[in-house]
Amino acid sequence: MNRLAQDMAEPDPARALGGALSASRAPGPAFLAGRNRLWWLAVPLAIFFVFFFVIPVLVLLANAFDKPAAGSVAPAGDFVLTNFQRFLRLPQYYNSALLTIYVSFISSIIAAILGYPLAYLIAKTEHPAWNTFLMILVLASMQLDGVIRLYGMMVLLGDNGLINGTLIRWNYLSEPLPLMYNIFGVVVGTVQITLPFMVLSLIGVIRNIHPSFQEAARSLGASPWWAFRSITLPLTMPGLLAGTLLVFALASSSYVVAALMGGWKVWVLPVQIFERISNSGQWQFGAALATILLVINVAAVFIYQAASSRMTGGRT
Amino acid sequence: MNEPARFHWAVWLGSIAALLVLLLPVVIVVLAGLTAGEYLTFPPQGLSLKWVIAFLQSATFLPAYLFSLVLATITMVIACIIGTMAAVYLTRTRFWGAKLMRGIFMTPIILPGLVLGLALYVFYVMTDLGLARSFAGLLIGHVLVTTPFVLATVSAALVGFDRSLEEAARSLGAGPLQAFRLVTLRIIAPAISAGAIFAFIISFGQFDLSLYLGTPNLTNLPYAMYISLRYKFEPTAAAAGIFAIALVVASMLLTARLVNLGKLVANTRLRW
Repeated sequence: MNRLAQDMAEPDPARALGGALSASRAPGPAFLAGRNRLWWLAVPLAIFFVFFFVIPVLVLLANAFDKPAAGSVAPAGDFVLTNFQRFLRLPQYYNSALLTIYVSFISSIIAAILGYPLAYLIAKTEHPAWNTFLMILVLASMQLDGVIRLYGMMVLLGDNGLINGTLIRWNYLSEPLPLMYNIFGVVVGTVQITLPFMVLSLIGVIRNIHPSFQEAARSLGASPWWAFRSITLPLTMPGLLAGTLLVFALASSSYVVAALMGGWKVWVLPVQIFERISNSGQWQFGAALATILLVINVAAVFIYQAASSRMTGGRT
Repeated sequence: MNEPARFHWAVWLGSIAALLVLLLPVVIVVLAGLTAGEYLTFPPQGLSLKWVIAFLQSATFLPAYLFSLVLATITMVIACIIGTMAAVYLTRTRFWGAKLMRGIFMTPIILPGLVLGLALYVFYVMTDLGLARSFAGLLIGHVLVTTPFVLATVSAALVGFDRSLEEAARSLGAGPLQAFRLVTLRIIAPAISAGAIFAFIISFGQFDLSLYLGTPNLTNLPYAMYISLRYKFEPTAAAAGIFAIALVVASMLLTARLVNLGKLVANTRLRW
């Protein structure tokens, strides 16, 4: 779980590759009269995390292996696989997992295609004011609460929304196009929410390519397209993979996009988990579905690691 | 058109498409909050402040907005203090377990908020400390998801920090704590501020945790908007959104003044 998340959230994969090196770099001279006295600085956060992060997550995992007991929240301490057997037996649940993978995969591919040109433009913009302006646009749209952005998308894509409403009023359409409350809507929403993360994962790698590589290709007569395809794109592959994985992880775990843009018709895992627990009180089964969601993300990370180590010749 | 020009245009067209996807929903929220009509139509029916005024008098959205502000402020202070302290230790220790600790501290970024909220809720109910559906319980969740950002931003500044400056202060007679306060802290202050702003904004827009940790009297703005969006598009919600957008834009402008955004993104090691 170590490297995976590191590379995933690493906006600069070149650094991610060197991550192991820099982490073990020689420490400088002692600080505050001997480094051994520094440990107390980490104590508050460490205690906080053990109590409110490590233990709760372990309890949730324990819950997933408990005997199903409607309405009972706390784990009883059994170890049975009933919840997972139920998941594998009933199509509505395993289809939920497959749908989650499908939606997240499509979204991450679209985000990569859409995000690459913008990241390229920002990386190549030398002018400081323009660069800062574009960075603010991307960072601000990343930090703006997703529900607000979903409001905008729902007004745009709804049956009486801007697109359908206008086209019907101008007699181009007699029936609204199904732009929302389906998989299409969820993918559009997911791409919108996750696009800034893709762009930020790519800017660093694109900027890190030494311009002399492209210049060399150009001076040898290569067209810009050829230079891009044979130099820039392969060299930025690690960033592209890291961004795709990050988008996949964010997409597969978002409840609110699927709930609002899917209108409770697109039963991805987060929606299923919430429904099982809040409407049916099946805490143990819900915990098992949450565990499966985590397993999907961890599996995605392993696939990513295998792909990226093949690409870099095992140098990671 | 020759080939370099075509390549140039392709990059621009792609960038414009991406910016459209990023910004169009935001523009729509602003227009929907300022529309003169009952809902947003195209072409717009003209501008008015009536929904902004309705927001300022709203019994749901204004309290939710203020609740978000209070929650985000308290979250920011706690995350900033414990995050900075841990960052100083983790960037200067040789302890073999420091990497693992850092890994655990960063995990909330990728753990689904729904799963974290669920885990915390089960834990609160199980331990019966009165944290379930309480302000403290929600606050704990917010501190968990924001501290990694403070840790990452401050660590980035500390890793790039030239420690000979601190040694120079020491050799000129400053005590260790004094040297840290007068030299190191001043130099990493912009990074701490940037981390604080990140923590504030992430807490302000945090939705997923509220699914299990929120209650009718612990409703933040994203949760209030989600509840209203399930039934209809209230222009009042869009007006509330305008105020949230203003907050994010202001905070990003402030961050851009404090630190170099390009460097921040390149150096922020959200890593394990």
